[in-house]
Amino acid sequence: MKFWQKIFFLSILVFIVIFNAASVMVIERSHNRMLQQEINGAISQNMSIHSSVDAIVPILRIYDSIDYEKTVLSRIAGEFVDKNGDQQVFIDIRDGSDRVVFSNLDFQMPKERQELDGLAENEIRYVLRDIGERTILFTTNTTVINHKTYLFTYMLDVTPVYQERIAQYQFFAQVDIAACLLYMLVMFFVSRGLTRSIDRLNETAKVIAKGSFSERVRLKSGDEIGELALNFNKMASVVEDKITDLERNNEQKQRFINNFTHELKTPLTSIIGYANFLRTTKYKEDLFLDGLNVIYSEGKRLESLSLKLMDLILLQEDHFQMEEHDLQDVIAEVKPALEMMAKEKQVQIITDCEEGTLLMDKDLMKVLIFNLADNALKASSERQQIAVRTYWQDGHYHLQIADEGIGIAKEHQDKVFEPFYMADKSRTRSRNGAGLGLSICQSVADMHQGVISIRSSENAGTTVEVSFAGVRGKGGVEL
Amino acid sequence: MTKKILIVEDDVHISNIIKMNLNLVNYTTAAAYDGMAALELIRQEKFDLILLDVMIPQLDGFALMERIKPYNIPVIFLTAKNSVYDKVNGLKLGADDYMVKPFEAIELLARIESVLRRYGKEERIMEFQSIQVDLDKREVTRLGETVELTPKEYDLLVVLMKNKNIALSREQFIDKVWGGDYYGETRTVDMHIKSLRKKLELQDHIKTIYKMGYRLED
Repeated sequence: MKFWQKIFFLSILVFIVIFNAASVMVIERSHNRMLQQEINGAISQNMSIHSSVDAIVPILRIYDSIDYEKTVLSRIAGEFVDKNGDQQVFIDIRDGSDRVVFSNLDFQMPKERQELDGLAENEIRYVLRDIGERTILFTTNTTVINHKTYLFTYMLDVTPVYQERIAQYQFFAQVDIAACLLYMLVMFFVSRGLTRSIDRLNETAKVIAKGSFSERVRLKSGDEIGELALNFNKMASVVEDKITDLERNNEQKQRFINNFTHELKTPLTSIIGYANFLRTTKYKEDLFLDGLNVIYSEGKRLESLSLKLMDLILLQEDHFQMEEHDLQDVIAEVKPALEMMAKEKQVQIITDCEEGTLLMDKDLMKVLIFNLADNALKASSERQQIAVRTYWQDGHYHLQIADEGIGIAKEHQDKVFEPFYMADKSRTRSRNGAGLGLSICQSVADMHQGVISIRSSENAGTTVEVSFAGVRGKGGVEL
Repeated sequence: MTKKILIVEDDVHISNIIKMNLNLVNYTTAAAYDGMAALELIRQEKFDLILLDVMIPQLDGFALMERIKPYNIPVIFLTAKNSVYDKVNGLKLGADDYMVKPFEAIELLARIESVLRRYGKEERIMEFQSIQVDLDKREVTRLGETVELTPKEYDLLVVLMKNKNIALSREQFIDKVWGGDYYGETRTVDMHIKSLRKKLELQDHIKTIYKMGYRLED
């Protein structure tokens, strides 16, 4: 059963029970009051007859005649009946031996009258009896006149009171049906309105479950459902972020694999091709030497690729020794090697370093500097300069390597840290790189809590900067 | 008439090795190292076939395919990726075949030959010095005189001539002549080579290559 139906039916059930019980109680109470009034009226009538008779008793005592007594009593009773002519009033007077003195009954007096048992003098008792269609109130008392006991019964037809009750119930039934219908109508809209936001939430959840993770619930209300919708949206956006992350990760991995195969297969194709050529064709000295040269250089390329890959893998595990070294000294150490590398292109290496002690793995730091310098060298033309600087700024220690080379186009700048990414899409590799350098640098920088950033403009040069956080300052002062 | 093949490959070494192999079996070649250069060459010269690398600078292989469609030149893709997407894409664009790097020279030659045959560009008469082979008639003549060969000897001769100057192993001969499901001894090859040498007086030209197999040499 749907939630709105539960609200709907439950509230209707409660309404019907309470409304009917309350109405029945009200009707019954007013009926009982009216009945009580009738009873009280009857009793007071009875008493007034009684007092009239009492008033006449001294006179009757004087005459002391039964007939006279009977005549007088009949007259009093007759007067009463006449006085209340419009009301259905009956009086029945009997003497001690159950002979009727006066009676205006239009029905048979019932034989069994339990209210008479042990009826004391001056006591009034009443009882309600159904006589035929009517309900009659019997009020009874005894009066002693001249040592004779007379039984007085004053009766009142209270059927209208009961008819009134039935009329009340009939009216109530109509009101009840009308009220229930009205209530059902109102409750239908109320419960639908209350659960509409839940429905909307539900629909959105279904849409999201089908894979449209960017779907959101558009629901603005301050109640619990509004809050739920808000949290639901928060959850959906977290999930969406995670999924996007995963997808991006996956894409990166796929790209890595694709690039890796390409990088691996190109030298392999050359090596296998040349080896097979030399193996299957007639020996010719110049071809033989050319072939061996290609096999050698392509083998070297494979070697450097595998070394760099190993660097990358090692970096992803956690084997490194962190010791304190001055970066200035490390740069001074690698400078001769850098100059060797740069000699071929006649590129000048300029160093301008401030002192700065870092907690570092010296070998990895050298790898970082080498890779950055190697990139700078690849980008440089002959006789240009590469500047290696370290300096302090805003409490951070910076390593900067700047070249004057070809630069990196804007659209490539955010991807250059990805493994195998080469800004030169053609991968001509005339500069013989695999596109792993920066990706290694990034890992090394991460390990030293360094942040790597690139500034570059095409044909004006590239500046790569690593800024180290949590470094010891000059003289070993913790900053 | 020799066939002219355009090699579009950005890696100089790979381009060279393909060229060397093709030259051995008397194809003439031209090399282009990027897409634009290839397009230029195709506009200027007439080629019988193009070997096309997918990842080339300036204009990639797929884009180049689209541009050279009107020339109706058979194309074999060379690709380092063996992803299904690339293969399907290449073939959909109208490539006739594809090769995944790294590849063997004789496999490349076989594919080139089969593509050329499909285009009706295959030479139906092969010549080697004084020997002529008519592929349609399956007839071999030497110095104008018909030489009787058994069917296997004939097939072996054709394989030798098609892979002229390239040494093939006994296993490769068996694969090409007797078919992949032949489980005979490799000595069968030796026997047939021996009788070919004798019937066609090729003693000096069919060389036994130590630890390899045989090679037909000019």
